[in-house]
Amino acid sequence: MSTFIQILLRSLESGSVYALAALGIIIIYRTSNITNFSQGVVGMFNTYVVTYLFMKTGAPLWLCILGGVVSAILVGLTIDFLVIRHTKKVAPVAKQIITLGLIMVVMGIAPILFGVDPLNLPRLINDGNLTLLEANISYNGLFNIVFGLVLMFVLFYVLQNTKVGLAVRTTASNEYTARLMGVPTKTVTLGAWAVAGVLGVLSGVMIAPTTSVTLNLMDVVQINALIACVLGGFQTFYGPIIGAYLIGVSRNLLIYYVSSVWGGQILYILILIFLIFRPYGLIGKKTVKKV
Amino acid sequence: MLADNEVLKIENLSIAFGGLKAVDNLSFEIKKNEIFGLIGPNGAGKTTVFNCITQFYKPNDGRILFRTKEGSETNLVDHKVHEIIKLGLVRTFQNVELIRELSILDNVMIGAHIDFKATILEQALRLPRARKEEKALRAEAEEILKRLGIWERKDMLVFGQPYGILKKVEMARTLMCRPSLIILDEPAAGLNDVETLQLAQLIRTIRDEFDCAVLLVEHDMRLVMDVCDRICAISFGKFLAKDTAKEIQKNKAVQEAYLGSSEEIHHV
Amino acid sequence: MKKVNLKTPSFNLKTLSKNPYLQFILFGLVLSTLPILASQFSFIKSAYITTIGVTLIYAIAALGLNLLLGWSGLISLGTAGFMGLASYISAYLTVDMGLPFEVAILAAILVPTFIGVLVGLVSLKIEGLYLAIATLAVSEILRKTFEEFEAFTGAFSGKAASFPVLFNSIQLDRATMYYFIVFVLIIIMLITYNLVNGQMGRALNAMRGSEAAAQAMGVNLLKYRLVAFALATIFASVSGVLYVHFIRYSYPSSWTLKLSLDFLAMIVIGGVRSIYGTVLGAFIVFAVPDLFLKQIPYFSQLSYTLNGILIILVIMFYPNGIVMIFRDIKNVFLKLFKKGNGNHVS
Repeated sequence: MSTFIQILLRSLESGSVYALAALGIIIIYRTSNITNFSQGVVGMFNTYVVTYLFMKTGAPLWLCILGGVVSAILVGLTIDFLVIRHTKKVAPVAKQIITLGLIMVVMGIAPILFGVDPLNLPRLINDGNLTLLEANISYNGLFNIVFGLVLMFVLFYVLQNTKVGLAVRTTASNEYTARLMGVPTKTVTLGAWAVAGVLGVLSGVMIAPTTSVTLNLMDVVQINALIACVLGGFQTFYGPIIGAYLIGVSRNLLIYYVSSVWGGQILYILILIFLIFRPYGLIGKKTVKKV
Repeated sequence: MLADNEVLKIENLSIAFGGLKAVDNLSFEIKKNEIFGLIGPNGAGKTTVFNCITQFYKPNDGRILFRTKEGSETNLVDHKVHEIIKLGLVRTFQNVELIRELSILDNVMIGAHIDFKATILEQALRLPRARKEEKALRAEAEEILKRLGIWERKDMLVFGQPYGILKKVEMARTLMCRPSLIILDEPAAGLNDVETLQLAQLIRTIRDEFDCAVLLVEHDMRLVMDVCDRICAISFGKFLAKDTAKEIQKNKAVQEAYLGSSEEIHHV
Repeated sequence: MKKVNLKTPSFNLKTLSKNPYLQFILFGLVLSTLPILASQFSFIKSAYITTIGVTLIYAIAALGLNLLLGWSGLISLGTAGFMGLASYISAYLTVDMGLPFEVAILAAILVPTFIGVLVGLVSLKIEGLYLAIATLAVSEILRKTFEEFEAFTGAFSGKAASFPVLFNSIQLDRATMYYFIVFVLIIIMLITYNLVNGQMGRALNAMRGSEAAAQAMGVNLLKYRLVAFALATIFASVSGVLYVHFIRYSYPSSWTLKLSLDFLAMIVIGGVRSIYGTVLGAFIVFAVPDLFLKQIPYFSQLSYTLNGILIILVIMFYPNGIVMIFRDIKNVFLKLFKKGNGNHVS
């Protein structure tokens, strides 16, 4: 039983990482109508910034992370301002290619700025374990889970209960109408890209200590975040979050109890089968075409 | 059972969406080479009726008997939507659903899709049968375009063509498969008076020269009264009246459905 | 003196330039001259032949994706996985089992295509972005399998293969393998041209433009969806086989989401529904950094970044594909030409 809880707790940790990344993707999708394939790579870039600051300045880790957040905001704003803003007339498929272009730009710049060797980023809380129901979880892991949940809770609160959130939801629902009604959609998209960048760097900083900081740091996260959005449905903001935690938990359960080699694949196959029965995700709605 | 001179017979057609009965126990029949009108106020269910006929929706109840091109009788409800055209029944679309990036000629040739017998492999290698079929059907498409007076535009892209031309292209497309019944979905929508007169002539041409019956679903009363042999009026999905154009105009129930009761108008 | 008519109707240059089949063959001949040029002119390094060869191989897979996305309107992000699967199958059958190349190519096409058709079946229920990511999931399942299934794929060490032996007697080397690739590409271009300009092309276009109208015209959506997926997977499989027998190695890390996105970029940039555009797109996305950007001093390290910027710029200014640039150039020429004529007449 304790192993089960152990796995569950671990999964909540990886679920947090996926959830933050998935939230970044869904925010951009619903406000700019783009599937941001560069979410992971930009997060990787900003995680490098954090690592670099930590290694070169010796400042405390939390300060470097803050630096990374600032960098993420700047990068996000730049992307929206320079590129996305000018793509109104571009077809949806072509818009996804723009994010591919962004991937190439970032993948080209990162090795020049940060070198090609893997770097190490330590955890925020280095030592200590909590014992819960005979299962162990590190304080760092606990912090990650709690922080992730709190952050998402705050974002959702803002989304549902504030004027800013209303502006975001209106833009997400119909950008053209929102603009007609005086919603500052340009600011909303700017903000969305900045927030998505921050979510990206936070998920990067959470996952980096478990491996090393390389160019491929966020590849798996990117893919699982996309699949989380599909599993949860692109129609709501909270669907992908649920999808992300489900993926995190199911993945570890499958790997431990069914097959360590094929666990990941089995998860994807199960998700595909699920999609056949619910093609719009857990919380999706179908639109009927009238002829 | 279909009478010898009947091409379509709807018996007790019903369909409901959620709790709302869109079409309620409707029956009528269309004779060969007849121009038959289906009228009714907005929301009466006209579009739903013919979406049921073409199997775009599956009706809950009723039979739709049709005389196929070969002469046999079949219940359309037993068929899938993409099989309907093979039996000899075609429809046009109110939102002209043509392919913008293709030429007018290519769009018309889509209408002949079911007549292509060459397999994909034959097409890939451009074997003789594929080439022959392509040539023959292309010639037929051009012939129809000539008869409708738009042959000169055959290689122009559909994108950017005037609305009246697009309607003719759509008509040409439906004629490619030599149907026995064409359903026209509000063809006069968006046309001016002159174009509507031309449309009336076009519909008569279809009946006379292409040996086809026409089910006209339309709002424009002048066109309907001008061109239709018989008319069926419905309201709220239910049958109201079925008669010749002249008699329908005098029908009290039809007037009420369209205009409100004659009493009210009188007192205004 | 009797005037000699030098122009015989069937062979003048005009007929030549208008016949698309001859154009394809001419294009193939031009591509074939590149290795010869490489051996004569030292500034065209022989490593370029590898790059161009791979570009042409990618163009084959991209043409398949164009049939799927450009003509049929179905997004797939799974091209890389299928290509990888075909590469491993062909490598395994020729190296580990010693089967002839022709058998290997057949198996390497059939297995992925079977999976591709399954995906096609699924595409009736799942649409748009959900379908795209579902195909991504399929590709990831394959990629993870490449990483784990060591006996078959050699896992992270990769799988080796060699230049193919045709008909059990002709051993190809790098140069002749390149010609073989050109040959296959031209055949694929020809077949694609035939298909999209005939009845199937119209059916796919109708399916993409309006499913309701297509069905009313008798187009069986299921059949054509399956055909589209089957063709796309066949082309991707051919591409994978050529890849592993040209590069002679296949790694799991080659078959990522990034590669699938590259194929998408190739057809969007080159021009959806354009056959030459697809090849052009392949050059822009893959060959340009290696061939040109790396030559510019100070910029060689930034070649990847510059390519990304190029892609973004092309999308922003030529959303219909860079193949449109030729139309713009032609219009400019026509304008200049007309001006000149006008002067003459007056």
